[in-house]
Amino acid sequence: MAYGTRGRILRVDLTQASFRIEHFDEAFYRLYPGGKALAGYLLLRELAPGTDALAPENLLVIANGLLTGAPISASTRFTVAARSPLTGAYGESEAGGFWGPELKMAGFDAIVVSGRAAQPTYLAIRDDTIELRDARELWGREPEEAQARIRAELGDKLVRVLQIGIGGENLVRYAALTNELRHFNGRTGMGAVMGSKNLKAIAVRGSGRYADALHDAKPIAALGRALGKRVKEHPQAWDMQEKGTPGLLAGLNAAGMLPTRNFREGVFEGVANIQWEVYEKELLSARRTCYACAIRCKREVKVDDRYQVGDAYGGPEYETVEGFGGYCGIDDLQAVAKANELCNRYTLDTISTSSTIAFAMECFEHGLIGLKETGGLDLRFGNAEAMLKTIDLIARREGIGDLLAQGSKRAAQVIGGDAPRFAMQVKGQELPMHDPRGKVGVGLGYAIGEIGGDHLYAAHDTMLANPDSISFKGAAPLGVTALPARQLGAAKARNYAILENWNSFGNAVGLCYFGPAPRSFIQIDEVLSAVRSATGWDMQLADLLRIGERATNLARAFNILNGFSRRDDVLPDRLFQPLESGPLAGAGISRDDFDLTMDELYRLKGWDPQTTVPTRARLRELDIEWVADLLGV
Amino acid sequence: MKLYLGSYLSWYVPQRLSRLDIPLLAPISLMELLAQLKLPPAEISIAAVNGTMVPLEDTLVCDADMVEFHPPVGGG
Repeated sequence: MAYGTRGRILRVDLTQASFRIEHFDEAFYRLYPGGKALAGYLLLRELAPGTDALAPENLLVIANGLLTGAPISASTRFTVAARSPLTGAYGESEAGGFWGPELKMAGFDAIVVSGRAAQPTYLAIRDDTIELRDARELWGREPEEAQARIRAELGDKLVRVLQIGIGGENLVRYAALTNELRHFNGRTGMGAVMGSKNLKAIAVRGSGRYADALHDAKPIAALGRALGKRVKEHPQAWDMQEKGTPGLLAGLNAAGMLPTRNFREGVFEGVANIQWEVYEKELLSARRTCYACAIRCKREVKVDDRYQVGDAYGGPEYETVEGFGGYCGIDDLQAVAKANELCNRYTLDTISTSSTIAFAMECFEHGLIGLKETGGLDLRFGNAEAMLKTIDLIARREGIGDLLAQGSKRAAQVIGGDAPRFAMQVKGQELPMHDPRGKVGVGLGYAIGEIGGDHLYAAHDTMLANPDSISFKGAAPLGVTALPARQLGAAKARNYAILENWNSFGNAVGLCYFGPAPRSFIQIDEVLSAVRSATGWDMQLADLLRIGERATNLARAFNILNGFSRRDDVLPDRLFQPLESGPLAGAGISRDDFDLTMDELYRLKGWDPQTTVPTRARLRELDIEWVADLLGV
Repeated sequence: MKLYLGSYLSWYVPQRLSRLDIPLLAPISLMELLAQLKLPPAEISIAAVNGTMVPLEDTLVCDADMVEFHPPVGGG
């Protein structure tokens, strides 16, 4: 068995109600150490191109990262991957919390679920005791109750539960998974894939010790202790603990790049009512954390005022505050907190849900849909009650909600007319709350990302603009260059490629975006040391970046085999139009400069600029020449 | 003068507050203000006075002004 791993994955065939444990050796883990890399390998190898994402044949891969469960901050994350019902492309989403570390303690690096259960089922894993259990009484129940029932049935209140709510059961194409009610694999509709398999939950309890799997546990324990002491001394880590992601709103608004009313504007006039200081005063009830993480960036909220919001499901993050706030033109933070609670109870991705509703609001304002289609809802920007009702309809697939549950791209095709212009999506996935007109590298990530529009492929340009800043200095060992946030060109393509590989590596080893560079709470040499200590492998920084690049190439190959090419690596037209007001008034993205930068990016990646197919030479360099055979290059 | 420190910039002031009242007897440049508060200029991505973005260099503020500093903000 390879140090740092458990050396085995659990195969579950729901159709046959059978299990199998598969073992992998060290040579395998060196190439595919976990998370995104392991999931990409399995999906590319085993899932036939063209498989319907909601058919039993789709595979649901749940994979820990190499360092998931290590007793150091920011190493809690696991990947859920499958063909996405939202995009038809490679689907992937990471979550922190406690479930991933528990799975590792139970002795597994990953679970691969195939088939479809004859009736609602949940999977219970208690070390090597593995059972499929009847979930008919759980189906339709909200996560808080379902979790309590599972714990009672298993007689163990510490069992960790990963599950779906009615959004996943009803196959909303952007349904999420939740663990411990407060942590979410939000993106690309993995909850719908789980629902399509009649799989309500996966409950895990492990008795193993992560340290027993390590090559050398002492340096990792020492790093964990050092990070615990460092939090209060590190401005960005302190900020994540104190304000968390909602602290981003004010700065993005001041810079004129706070996506407002479906990316029509970059400044929200109501921001003072939804920014951090209001959150702290009106919503915040406690701070929480993920397994072994000293940063403690999670918030818990409770409201009993204009809206009633309980504290079971965790507080809204930045994406959610802005998504249901300025993006929908709503300046009532309590309504935003209610929207967050509804999405979490129903397990809906808050980014795609808010964005799809904003899309519908713009369609409504243009008369493309009316009161007849909305069932009487006055679905204008700023109408909080209509927004909340629409979330309900989406989760239940009722009325206009049935159409919006398909995502903005499909809904736009049905609505017709100008509607596709208002669907702010890439590859079918709705864009997060970051405007590439203010930070163009994020736009490169939106366009090229294999999962569709997402903000965690790229390093955000603003963090790499000043060579003397904490962020830049933290990322400097990667070989990046300080560049203005809005500058395109070859140097920006190079920065992007480096940071994409770094972020992809993070998803392969289970590291949270808020730990390592460019956040720089955990230094790059500390990440390298942790990998070496965990595995005993004499790796260099370049090897870590190759892990990330390899994982990206697996996902890209998956997409190519499913019919994707450069025509899918594009941004919505609106982002090429200049903003009309605010500090960035007049700022758009030059389409020519963007295309030239994308050309350079494909060249750096070793991909054909028209088809985006990786060259055999590059795949050989990455030790995955078998992928070239699959692609026929 | 009223000062708003966005995101992690509050960490640099002793009270770790986002909002501060700083009496100014005479106009002061933003760079001098940063120096007084021991805020590193490299961490300032956005400076705004009375809601309008301004350059750090060559901007004077007085007691009646509302000043905002924000650091580089990334994803979340």
